[in-house]
Amino acid sequence: MKRIWTRWLPAAAVPAAVAVAVLAGGASAVPPPSPSTPEQVLALVAAHTARQFSGTVEEKADLGLPSIPSQALGPATNSASLGSAATILELLTTSHTARVYADGPTKLRVQVMDQLAERDAVRNGNDAWTYDSKTNTATRVSVPAGGSTAEGSVPSTASPSVPAVTPDQLAQRFLTAAGTSTDISLGPTTTVAGHTAYTLVLTPKTPGTLVASVQIAVESQTGLPLSVDVYAKGQSDPALHTAFQNLDLHAPDASVFAFTPPAGATVKQEPLPAPKAGSGATPKASASPKPSQTGSSQASAAKSWDSVVVIPADKVPAGLTDSALVKQLASPVADGKLLSTSLVNVLVTNDGRVVAGAVPAATLMAAAK
Amino acid sequence: MSESQPKSLPNALPTSLRLFLSEVSVLFRRWRTWAMLVALAAVPVLIGLAVRFSPKGPPTGRGPAFLDQVTHNGLFVGVIGLIVCMPLFLPLTVGVVAGDTIAGEASLGTLRYLLVAPAGRIRLLVIKYLATVVFCVAAALAVVLGGVLAGLALFPVGRATLLSGDTIGPGEAFGRLLLMGGFATVSLLGLAAIGLFASTMTTVPVGAMAATIVLAVVSQVLDALDQLDWLHPWLLSDHWLDLADLLRQPISWGSFGENALLQAAYVAFFGALAYGRFTTKDILA
Repeated sequence: MKRIWTRWLPAAAVPAAVAVAVLAGGASAVPPPSPSTPEQVLALVAAHTARQFSGTVEEKADLGLPSIPSQALGPATNSASLGSAATILELLTTSHTARVYADGPTKLRVQVMDQLAERDAVRNGNDAWTYDSKTNTATRVSVPAGGSTAEGSVPSTASPSVPAVTPDQLAQRFLTAAGTSTDISLGPTTTVAGHTAYTLVLTPKTPGTLVASVQIAVESQTGLPLSVDVYAKGQSDPALHTAFQNLDLHAPDASVFAFTPPAGATVKQEPLPAPKAGSGATPKASASPKPSQTGSSQASAAKSWDSVVVIPADKVPAGLTDSALVKQLASPVADGKLLSTSLVNVLVTNDGRVVAGAVPAATLMAAAK
Repeated sequence: MSESQPKSLPNALPTSLRLFLSEVSVLFRRWRTWAMLVALAAVPVLIGLAVRFSPKGPPTGRGPAFLDQVTHNGLFVGVIGLIVCMPLFLPLTVGVVAGDTIAGEASLGTLRYLLVAPAGRIRLLVIKYLATVVFCVAAALAVVLGGVLAGLALFPVGRATLLSGDTIGPGEAFGRLLLMGGFATVSLLGLAAIGLFASTMTTVPVGAMAATIVLAVVSQVLDALDQLDWLHPWLLSDHWLDLADLLRQPISWGSFGENALLQAAYVAFFGALAYGRFTTKDILA
C-alpha cells in the first residue's frame, strides 16, 4: 500500500488540535478600559454596587510548606481545637474551590467543595448556619440583630471549619488596613473570569515585612474585587491567591439562602465569638482568634505590615501548641518552636505564648523576649 | 456496493445498524458479560447488607463517604456503590470488554472473516467501540440498579441529604443517582478507547485487557501525587470521583462538562491511533 503513513495522520492531528484549543482558550484579548488613577479605582471599590453575584472562587496557597492532603490529617475529631488546627494546616497547604452566592449585605452562601465532601456557610438575614458534610454537623451561629458590619463576615469567620475567604472580603480587609504605610499604584489591566479588571498594587513601605506586594483585580464596571494575590519576598508565585474562576452578576435564586438542618444531622448552637479588645482597627480581623494565615496577616496589616501579634499563653486555644501537626511542621529554635512559611512566621515560645507576624523569624524572636 | 441490493438482506435495516445489533447481541450472549454485570451489581448489595446487619450503626465520618446516610435513605446505597466501583471495578470490567474487541476476534481467527464481509475496517472499529460504549452504560446501570434494589429492600426511603446540607425528595434523589450513573459512563469512555487501541496492537486479548487496566490504575496513582499537579488536568481519571458534584445543591455542572471534554479528547486521540494501527496492519488470523 502506498502512502500508508497517511493513516497515522489523524493520530497526530488530534494532539495538535487539543494544543491549539488550549492555547486559544488561554490567550484572550483584553479590551483596555478607560485610563484611571489609583484614587479613582479605590473610589470605585469603596462604592461598589455589585452586591448580587454568584461565582466560583479558587483559593491557592504556596507558602513553602509541604502539601498535606486533608485525608492525611485524619478524620475530623470532636475536639474543636484540634479540628481547627487541622483545618488551618489544610488551608495553608492545599488549594480549594468554593462557590459563593451573595444577594445584598445579609444574604450569603459559601460552599467549599472538597472531594466527596462539602463545607457550607449560609447567612440569611439574622439566621446563620454552618454545615460540614463529613461529620454531618450543622452549627447555628447567633447573629445579634442589626449587628451586621460587613457582608458575610459572620458565617465565614464564625466557624473554623469553613476557611473560605472570598476575593471581595479579603480585598476589603487589605484596603481598609492600607493606610499611610502602603504605596498604592495601578498595575496593567487584566481579565479575571471573563471580566475586565483594573489592578491595584499595594506595596508596603516598610522593609521589615515578608510581604512583597498585594495585587487586587477590581472589576472595571462595578468595582467588585475579583482576585487577590499576596506576593512574598523572594518568591515569584503568589503565596496566597484567591480569584473568581467564573462570575455571574445576577441575583442568585432565593432558595440558595434557605437552610434547614437535615434530619439526622448533629445540630449545635454556637455564640458568635466575641471580638478581642484592642486588637486592631477592624473587628473582622480579630474575629479569628487562631494564628491562621489570613487572621494573623490581617491582624498585622491592621496596624502596619511589620507588626507582631503576641497571644498570651492563657488565650492560646488548648491543644493547638502541642498538636502533632504543629510539632511536625515547626522546627525547634532557641526560644521555642518556629513554624516558618514564606509569608508568615509563627513562633510558639517555651512558656506557651504564640507570637506571629508577616515578618522574618529574627523579628519574632526579638519580640518574644 | 452490496448493501444496495435489498434482496440479499434479511431485513430493511442498514448494514451498519445490523452489524452493530449483532455485535451487541454477541456481547450480551456471553456468560462473561453477565458475570461481570452481576458482580458489579453485587457490590452495592453487599455494602447494603453489611450496613443493615452490622450490630452497631455506621460510624459517622469513617469508611466510604455517605455511609452514614444509608440508614436514612436507601438510595444512597447506589451512590456508595458507584463511588466504591469507580476507581477499580468499573475500569476493570470495561478493560476486559474493550481489550477483547479486536484481539478477541484475532485470537479466535474470526477477524478475517469479519473483514471479508464488506464491512470495512473503519466501520468494524466504530461498531466495536459503540458496543463497548453500550457495555459502559450497562455496567454503570448495573451498579445503580443493584444499589436501588438493595436500598429499597433493606432501608427506608425518605428525604436524601445532599453534600450541601439541603434535602431532596426520593424522586429527585433517584434522578440524581441516574445522573451519577451517566457521569460514570462518560468517565469510562476514554478508557474504552484506550482498550480498543490496545486491542488492535495484539492478538492476545488478555494482554490488551491487562494493559488497559494497568493504565487506569497508573493514571489514578499519578493523580494522587501532589508533586505532579501540573499533569492532573490531563489525566484520564482526574474527574472520576467528581461524580459527587452531582450531589451538591445547586448541581455543580462544571466537572461534568470538563470530564466530557477530557474523555472526548481521549476518545479522539486513541480512536485515531486505533484507526492508524488497524488500517495499516496485516490481518493474518
